[in-house]
Amino acid sequence: MSDLEAYRAKAATWLESMAPTYGREARKGLAEADDLALGRRYQKAKFDAGFAGINWPTEYGGQGLGHLEKVTFDAEEMKHGFPNFYFGISLGMPVPVLMQFGSDRDFVKERVLKALQGEEIWCQLFSEPSGGSDLAGLRTKAEPDGNGWKINGQKVWTSWAHYSDYGVIVVRTDPTVPKHKGLTYFWVDMKAPGVTVRPIKLAGGDSHVNEVFFDDVKISDDHRMSPVGGGFAVAITTLMIERYVATDSAGFGPHLDLFVDLAKDTLLNGKPAIEDGRIRQQIARNYAMRSGLDSINVRARLMMQAGMIPGAEGSLNKLVAVRSRQKLSELAIDLQGSGGFAFDEHASQKEDWASSWINAPTGRIAGGSDETLLNTIAEKVLGLPQDYRPDKGIPFNQIPA
Amino acid sequence: MTILYDEGQQAIATESRRVLEARISKDSLLPLLESVGGYHRPFWDTAKEQGWTALALPEAHDGLGLGLVELGLIAHQAGRSLSGAPFLTTNFGAAKAIELYGNAEQQARWLPGLASGDTIGAVAIASGPSALPTQPTVTVTNYSIDGSKKGVVGALFADVAIVLANGPGMLALELVELRDVARVAVNSFDNSRCYADLDFSAAPSETLVVGAAAREAALHILALQAVVTAHEQTGGAEVLMEIARDYALTRRAFGQPIGAFQSVKHRIAELYGLVELARANCIHAASREGAADFITAAAAARLSATEAYDTAARDCVQIHGGIGVTWDLGLHLHMRRARSLAIEQGSSLFWEDVLVDRLTGEAA
Repeated sequence: MSDLEAYRAKAATWLESMAPTYGREARKGLAEADDLALGRRYQKAKFDAGFAGINWPTEYGGQGLGHLEKVTFDAEEMKHGFPNFYFGISLGMPVPVLMQFGSDRDFVKERVLKALQGEEIWCQLFSEPSGGSDLAGLRTKAEPDGNGWKINGQKVWTSWAHYSDYGVIVVRTDPTVPKHKGLTYFWVDMKAPGVTVRPIKLAGGDSHVNEVFFDDVKISDDHRMSPVGGGFAVAITTLMIERYVATDSAGFGPHLDLFVDLAKDTLLNGKPAIEDGRIRQQIARNYAMRSGLDSINVRARLMMQAGMIPGAEGSLNKLVAVRSRQKLSELAIDLQGSGGFAFDEHASQKEDWASSWINAPTGRIAGGSDETLLNTIAEKVLGLPQDYRPDKGIPFNQIPA
Repeated sequence: MTILYDEGQQAIATESRRVLEARISKDSLLPLLESVGGYHRPFWDTAKEQGWTALALPEAHDGLGLGLVELGLIAHQAGRSLSGAPFLTTNFGAAKAIELYGNAEQQARWLPGLASGDTIGAVAIASGPSALPTQPTVTVTNYSIDGSKKGVVGALFADVAIVLANGPGMLALELVELRDVARVAVNSFDNSRCYADLDFSAAPSETLVVGAAAREAALHILALQAVVTAHEQTGGAEVLMEIARDYALTRRAFGQPIGAFQSVKHRIAELYGLVELARANCIHAASREGAADFITAAAAARLSATEAYDTAARDCVQIHGGIGVTWDLGLHLHMRRARSLAIEQGSSLFWEDVLVDRLTGEAA
């Protein structure tokens, strides 16, 4: 057995032992506050068992292992439905960036340790009402204020802001230069005066994203994590931190086996649906697509193990898997006919077709829309030209609204 | 087997690409479309000379003892360059059938010639719309075969064929020498595939496998060939994606390269996705030869590769506009090949059913 396989086995054993206390079944019927409390205990248990911050330096409470161990653990962890999503953003992006760019090292160390143990949560304040895909077009501003800064504006789609203790934020510090050049990166205390968090109820009924308002929020200059005007580069670092994360060829929806089971159990016009050519075609097409993504992921892992850099095809997973999941979920609801109207807004997207369907659009928009991903492939991988951008090179405050 | 190509395998890919790009051009392929009964001899001579015909056959019979992964790499390059003859795949299928199901005498008689490429093999499993028929259109009795098989790929020049036939009350996979078998060339949309109708009339026939095992054997041969073809399709799709990209970078309209329009650039980015999914499935399938899930992996490779090549052919022509539909530009060579390869070894309609049967545990 390779070292990595041994690590996988060790992780799997531990995760299975945790499943009765923190897993899918244990969470059924819990109110969100109780689920979050359970999540904090689970995160602490991970920390105590040596499975938190797997690829982070040991001086920050991490395990000092590699990216492969991290991806391996995540793939095993995904199987049990643990309440870990409250910490997904926090530990995925803002806290690693804090580790890398935070200036007060004692403060950084204290925050990282608390975040790793589930005591504190960080959010990422990027998108705004006037721009999501166009990140550099953001309008929230920070103006010099004494020895520090004063922030005014609004962020939106901020995951878990309502539970967050801190956040990282990109703001405009100079509107007189082209848009990418006038941004600066800070961290903020989400409990500071002038910060207002207002949850947004999404189409599926849940409210894990928020609007966040900043009204004369004052911060000292030691909150700054980039040179003044150098915030965009740090923001891009944030987005690039983990290109090869543990992915899911089911697009974070139900496994294809669940669709096959449904088709086997359903009569369509008096005949088993599994014998219907239209249903069979979709099963076959989805299987081929998912097996291709799985093979891409395995190959990427092997390449990393061999010290090589995986190809750009790893970026296909989200684009291809989520939109396929959306259509397959529609078909699953079709299959159930009038039996498919039932809806439980707390049902898991990985087990329930209606929940998978109604939440699928979020997956196609958040973290890079389908269109943005296609542009990235076209431009960065295939070398096709950038879109026509009328705001290019123009000072931000002269861009026509 | 791992799915990372080693240095030797990468060298196979590089060298075969170099040789094929130097020796094949659309100008030598276009005239073949307008005549029946020809193939691109330089392509086949190259395949023989480079040892590609021997690549995946056993060393005991003059093969090189490599496998599907290596043959797949050659097929991928052949797909990029538009192979000028179908025999790489047909010889492989016929030889594997004889290697796996033939006796020592049959192996000694046929395998060295198939390995050198001096003998040409064909595989005649399909009967019309049925890729793997339960009632084939040929019947074998007392070592003698009668009936006809339509549109057998490569059969116009084949010396020997593997034929799925009705045996005595059950299916039989047969080995038939074609020397005295009548054949009629099919005038097709892709004539270098050398399709022919084989008309058997009391031709001597040797039985390889009978009954349920014959069906399983036929499916296995189809799957082996399908993985080779899937690589070829992926190569074709890949080169079309590159051609589309290059054209979108140079052709200008409304004051900018057409590749700056999202309707065009997204179309090409989508092709990239289809090509990479097909490639990943191909590499996986080639590495699963001999494993319990080989048929499933082959079906997935076949489905994604067919989708990639058909879509790339459609979209690459569309992106070119008017020039794309001209005879001389030759994109129709790929359009034609995408369709001929989509049918050989069973269309998507066949492989979808094979795959779902496996997934639902209903496969025989």
